[in-house]
Amino acid sequence: MVIVKRKELSLAEKLYLPEVVRGLSVTFRKMFEKPITRQYPEEPLEKTEVTRGQPRLVVKEDDSIACVSCGLCEAACPAYAITIDGGETDRAIEREPKRFDIDMLRCILCGFCEEACPKDAIFMSDELELADYSREALIYNIEKLKRPQAALQQRIDYVKKINTRWQTPSST
Amino acid sequence: MIEWSVLLAWIVKATVIYLGLVNVGALMTLAERKFSAWMQYRIGPNRVGPFGLLQPLADGVKFIFKEELMPAGANKMLFRFAPVIAALPSMMTIAVIPFTTKDVVLGGWNIGTFSIVNLDIGVLYILALGGLSVYGLIIGGWASNSKYSLLGGLRASAQMISYELTLILTILAVVVMAGSLDLQQIALSQNKVTDWNIWYQPLAFLMFVVATFAETNRHPFDFAECEPELVAGFHTEYSSMKFALFFIGEYSAMTVMACLTTTLFLGGPSVPFLEDPHWALQIAAFLAKAGFFLFLFIWVRWTLPRFRFDQLMALGWKVFLPLALLNLLATGVVKSLV
Repeated sequence: MVIVKRKELSLAEKLYLPEVVRGLSVTFRKMFEKPITRQYPEEPLEKTEVTRGQPRLVVKEDDSIACVSCGLCEAACPAYAITIDGGETDRAIEREPKRFDIDMLRCILCGFCEEACPKDAIFMSDELELADYSREALIYNIEKLKRPQAALQQRIDYVKKINTRWQTPSST
Repeated sequence: MIEWSVLLAWIVKATVIYLGLVNVGALMTLAERKFSAWMQYRIGPNRVGPFGLLQPLADGVKFIFKEELMPAGANKMLFRFAPVIAALPSMMTIAVIPFTTKDVVLGGWNIGTFSIVNLDIGVLYILALGGLSVYGLIIGGWASNSKYSLLGGLRASAQMISYELTLILTILAVVVMAGSLDLQQIALSQNKVTDWNIWYQPLAFLMFVVATFAETNRHPFDFAECEPELVAGFHTEYSSMKFALFFIGEYSAMTVMACLTTTLFLGGPSVPFLEDPHWALQIAAFLAKAGFFLFLFIWVRWTLPRFRFDQLMALGWKVFLPLALLNLLATGVVKSLV
């Protein structure tokens, strides 16, 4: 049996009124303190390298994307948001996606695709706002997912830095 | 035969006071949200108009355009009638509140003291009508055909009956002090700051204020609409303007109670340290005092947690009733000896 020991109340506490006045004084003082509200659309969120927004495909200098449609991100995606159809090209790296769709309504911004990607093709951007008038418009295809490397550079550098942890050879 | 100028004066005063009451009620909804926000480090409504001042207007428009819902099995007539019964009495009781003790003179036209009527039994009038508003809550709760509403209505009735006693007994102490049931006379008897009833009747004042909280169903005694237990209590099933009417009723009741506290305990329109103030100054003083009590309603709501229902009943019957009776006895004895 659990015996809860209750605090013995003093007379002033039992009378309740002094405590009420104390409480009132607390709330009155708090009224003049600075509010912590962020007026969101006017004051946007601070975005740092660890901000994990929606996934985007990196466009390299030669206007191509690094994706070889291996399907690892598709397999890693816990929300089944990614759909890839592979295709061939004449380039040295001969595979590229014919279709690369991310259903933004399913995406949970977990970043598993970024982690799974062996070609550094997909990265989490700092874009967080997502609104449209239809469900179809929120299924993003390759063209909508493409972002220049410069826009994602901060995140790319960060992910590379984190990944060096696994790349250093272990002595054991 | 009533003279035309007297009739006109009545119409002017009734219009001004009634519109003032409704607008204060509307502003109170905004004030409640603003003050609660400030107490919680928030900003509160600030999108509609400057500083969100037009928020009550936006709320009103929204209420009007909301769908009217009628629960299956509800008693249609009573369901429609209940909000009216809840809102009307508090609006009527404002009639006897004396906003000035001096005659108001507008450009040579004397419209009498600034209260709609000046009844000899103003206190009785307020108590009689104020007690009626609980019918709106009970009928609304019963007519909704919902268990939560019914429980809310039941609680409201039990609470009102318990605290009406304290309310009446504390008012009686003031009546004994002034020797009159006329609110005008009660206000006049406290013309000087040193004559204010709060100095002679501190216990009655305290109990009266707590009882007004219970009477108007405000925190920490809002058991009639206690959200965690009863969804929204007696107005669970209400929507649209019917719901808004309950709100208007609640806020008008608060306003009237604040005015009544001012009149009974803080000398009503009396201005501190001024023997013979101008009538405008009197109105300003009255509104300032009543405004403080309105703020107190909000202040307490966002400070104290809700009581338990049995605690409320124990406080009402075991503490306040004997104390109020003793206080009345002591007042009577002292008054008859002095």
